Amino acid sequence: MLQGKYMSKRSVDAVFQGLYLLTDIRGILRDTVPDHRLSPGQKKDAEKILGKLEKQVAILKEELLA
Amino acid sequence: MNCGEGIDTRQVDELFINLDPIQAGGRLTTDAMKAVLAYGDGYSVCDNCVKPFRLDHISKPPLADFHRDLADFLQMDVARLVPGARRGFQAVAGALVSPGDPVLLTAYSHYTEFLSVEQSRGIPFEIPADELHIITPDAAAARIEEVIRTTGKTPSLMFVEQVDYQYGNLHPVAKIAKVAHQYDIPVLCNGAYTVGIMEVNGKELGADFLTGSGHKSMAAPAPSGVLATTDEWADKVFRTTGIKGDLTGRTFGIKEVEMMGCTLMGVTSVGMMASFPHVKKRVKEFDRQLQHVNTIVDALLSIDGTKIQSEYPRKHTLTRMNTIDSFDKVAKTHKKRGFFLTSALRERGITGILAGSTRVWKFNSYGVSKEQADHVARSFIEIAEAEGLTITG
Repeated sequence: MLQGKYMSKRSVDAVFQGLYLLTDIRGILRDTVPDHRLSPGQKKDAEKILGKLEKQVAILKEELLA
Repeated sequence: MNCGEGIDTRQVDELFINLDPIQAGGRLTTDAMKAVLAYGDGYSVCDNCVKPFRLDHISKPPLADFHRDLADFLQMDVARLVPGARRGFQAVAGALVSPGDPVLLTAYSHYTEFLSVEQSRGIPFEIPADELHIITPDAAAARIEEVIRTTGKTPSLMFVEQVDYQYGNLHPVAKIAKVAHQYDIPVLCNGAYTVGIMEVNGKELGADFLTGSGHKSMAAPAPSGVLATTDEWADKVFRTTGIKGDLTGRTFGIKEVEMMGCTLMGVTSVGMMASFPHVKKRVKEFDRQLQHVNTIVDALLSIDGTKIQSEYPRKHTLTRMNTIDSFDKVAKTHKKRGFFLTSALRERGITGILAGSTRVWKFNSYGVSKEQADHVARSFIEIAEAEGLTITG
């Protein structure tokens, strides 16, 4: 969705949201060094984060490739 | 994988338990990593900078509030962001020390404290440590008396570390400051290893100046830090410019001279600010970190011949060990020589100890979980056993 004349605010938001979600995954990796064995709670969190990340990727495809 | 031409992607903290003595407390929080993504561009905090055009007045992002919150956090009156604690030393020495002034430091003062004295052309006098590697108020008093007697001048400043970088020992700053104040000597407390790690109350310490390091202990990108002071000293150390261009007549608003104007104009200040809520919380949980470091130290001490050179039980996570009579004996005949220890640790997902060290070395376990502390403790014992060292206790 274009914002004003030139901007695709939606795709920019999706990029940052995606980066933040990946950063949350990075945080989990840091918290679980060195074996990266996730607790049940961390697995649940990771699953949620990855689901949200897929949505952001879908938005980007829609905004930039459609 | 590169993040630029010839620049490896750094993955140390994603792959290893990192016990590096200077890196542990500066590891970014997830929020700070997000801030780095959004505010990496140069003058990124200046989008909404309006009159009077100074960092501590910017309200979006909320740097003005952050400055006030930092002062409150440290129980001081005024705070400024600085590019590392060292720039705080420099600012204070620049404001208080005149050429030829005696300045007190300690046997454990950081080299940048010395450099700040050198830059101001002061003369350094060190307060010695006792046999337990502690700077005592008695030693401070004796050195003050000696300096006054031999130079005929009262020192214009005293630097003292709350926790020192060599042993990670906690020094009685409040008592030392009390002594200094009896001679009207202002005290700069170097909290590079404490501010952001444990609760620090500048007023209780009797600090006239308190410095903290963002990249060492406040989960912030480098170079970042804080210099806080009292109302009594704020006008002196944060004096505003009065200079005028002789041809153009230009003046420079309310820029602060010792700060060289604005200090952290981008990712450093926002990274520090993003971590701050987490930092405020974590300082209250420092006891748990002490349990973890003591778990690791106890495991090391169970290896015959191993000694601790820091005070024990630990009051800080930065710790100095002596393994001359344990791991270093192994190193003498091991095919990897002194590198066997760090190599064996790396195989177990642990890094940060100076490669090749088997004699006297430091580690900092700040930030590890109980599981990680247990893994580190177990790893040291496994390595010792594998090399034929005796475990007792």
